[in-house]
Amino acid sequence: MSYMDLFKVPDPTPELSCRAAVVGVGETDFNADYKAARTKAPGYEGQTAENLATLAFERALADSGLRREDIDGLSVSFLYGGPGAAETATMLGLSPRYMTDRGGGICAGPIPVACHAVANGECDTIALIFAAATRSIGRKFGGQRFDSGGPSSYFYHHPWGWSSQAAHWAMIWQFYQQAYGATEADLASVAIQLRENAMRNPNAIMQSPLTVEKYLDSRYVVRPLHLFDLCLVNDGAVCLIVRRSDLANEMPHVPVHIGGWGHAAVKTNKLNTLVRERLRPQFQEAGRQALAMANVALSDVQHFEGYDASTIHLINHIEGHGFVEPGSGLEFCKAGEMAPDGSLPVNMAGGILSGSYMHGWNHVAEIVRQLRHEAGPRQVKDVAISMFSLAQTDQVHPLIFMRGTK
Amino acid sequence: MVQTRPDRTLGPGHDTFWAGTAERKLLIQRCGKCGELTWPVVATCDHCGSADLAWEPMSGAGKVISWCTFEQDYYRGMIPVPYDTILVELAEGPLFISNPADFTREDIAFEMPVTVTFIECEDSAGLFKLPVFRKA
Repeated sequence: MSYMDLFKVPDPTPELSCRAAVVGVGETDFNADYKAARTKAPGYEGQTAENLATLAFERALADSGLRREDIDGLSVSFLYGGPGAAETATMLGLSPRYMTDRGGGICAGPIPVACHAVANGECDTIALIFAAATRSIGRKFGGQRFDSGGPSSYFYHHPWGWSSQAAHWAMIWQFYQQAYGATEADLASVAIQLRENAMRNPNAIMQSPLTVEKYLDSRYVVRPLHLFDLCLVNDGAVCLIVRRSDLANEMPHVPVHIGGWGHAAVKTNKLNTLVRERLRPQFQEAGRQALAMANVALSDVQHFEGYDASTIHLINHIEGHGFVEPGSGLEFCKAGEMAPDGSLPVNMAGGILSGSYMHGWNHVAEIVRQLRHEAGPRQVKDVAISMFSLAQTDQVHPLIFMRGTK
Repeated sequence: MVQTRPDRTLGPGHDTFWAGTAERKLLIQRCGKCGELTWPVVATCDHCGSADLAWEPMSGAGKVISWCTFEQDYYRGMIPVPYDTILVELAEGPLFISNPADFTREDIAFEMPVTVTFIECEDSAGLFKLPVFRKA
């Protein structure tokens, strides 16, 4: 599958809205596995995509209350390598009539594709599995090993020593500081808010308090970005079980309907769109598609999960979708508006900055827990509509989720 | 002194760009159909898809609109860290990622005017001239 093919989604038509719902969710032990990998505890052998995927699937299946033979669809997204869908089905003892290999990692493609397959009668109940043994395989995120196949900004500027996702966010953040007079202490507020959220989630990797002082004292990776501005690297897997909505009401948990999705990509002037506009045209367009498909307004969104590859990128989401005006996202965060009791609770499980680097799948898992009202100390009160927004350096893919009825 | 740098992207089109820098020219592709400039090098116009692309020398003038400093060593010591990178808006419009030639992060002011110069470099494909920027 080519790079751009990974992100193709079915047209976001209202006919596909709420035709499928998440009825099961499973995650691996992010916190325990990270600790084991860091300390190399006796007997620790590292993770593989296979063992991570199996654990997440078994947990999701148990959570759904379904039988193994009820799973008639399978979608696998093994980032950085793993078995294909057919091999995975054998490994898990499944005999699905619909299978798809996404090849890539992010969930904003596989979820709409699964909804379409369900609406189209290709399967009734599909397990979507993501796994990445990112830390165990020693994956690096910059330098010459990061080469062609993706967007040109990931490899073209090597002769000037410029590469890595961090470098993209660093250029954005430096420009943002100039444009709006923001400071590093202002950006610290985002890292601190997500750390506080993570500390209400026992499976989040980062559990020690973060302060402005600790943030400012931390090393720079690509200056002006500090260590705490950049997402984690860890092993893990997430499995979602998605079922035809009309079959999803007699289940142990309240179904979480997939209401809408959108997709917009940068086609021209990438660096300008990224640095000056911070993907705002793409956030606006993709968000409009997803909200229209779900027939809800942006102001109806009560909980937001955004792809926080860096602190400043989370602000790109908040401002880009229009929750706040450009340039006011950091003040919004500092005022506590992104906290569980704020006007827009954001990344309640700690995101990928402090929670777990599951490329957006962990954000969706948190949405499922929030919309079931099972999120315990970090529960957003009475939440019924959540928005997830995934954006890399060149495209935006939001998803709208809605609490169903039992 | 020749600096060792990470590898360039080479091949049709890319080679023309580097042949230009060898003559101390900063060549950027302009589309014959829609008139837009595109950087980095492309096979077809980013804006309209046309393959009718012609190389045009830039004036070399620009201004620094963003910058970042690599503290982490992504290139295994090939370029000693920390080192600065800059995002230059060329007078003709395109944004160009480069390095400062005669200044550092501490000297940069937002939208500071700069002009292109060329330094001797080497990568695994051989010697080449790298376009970098000095204060205008």
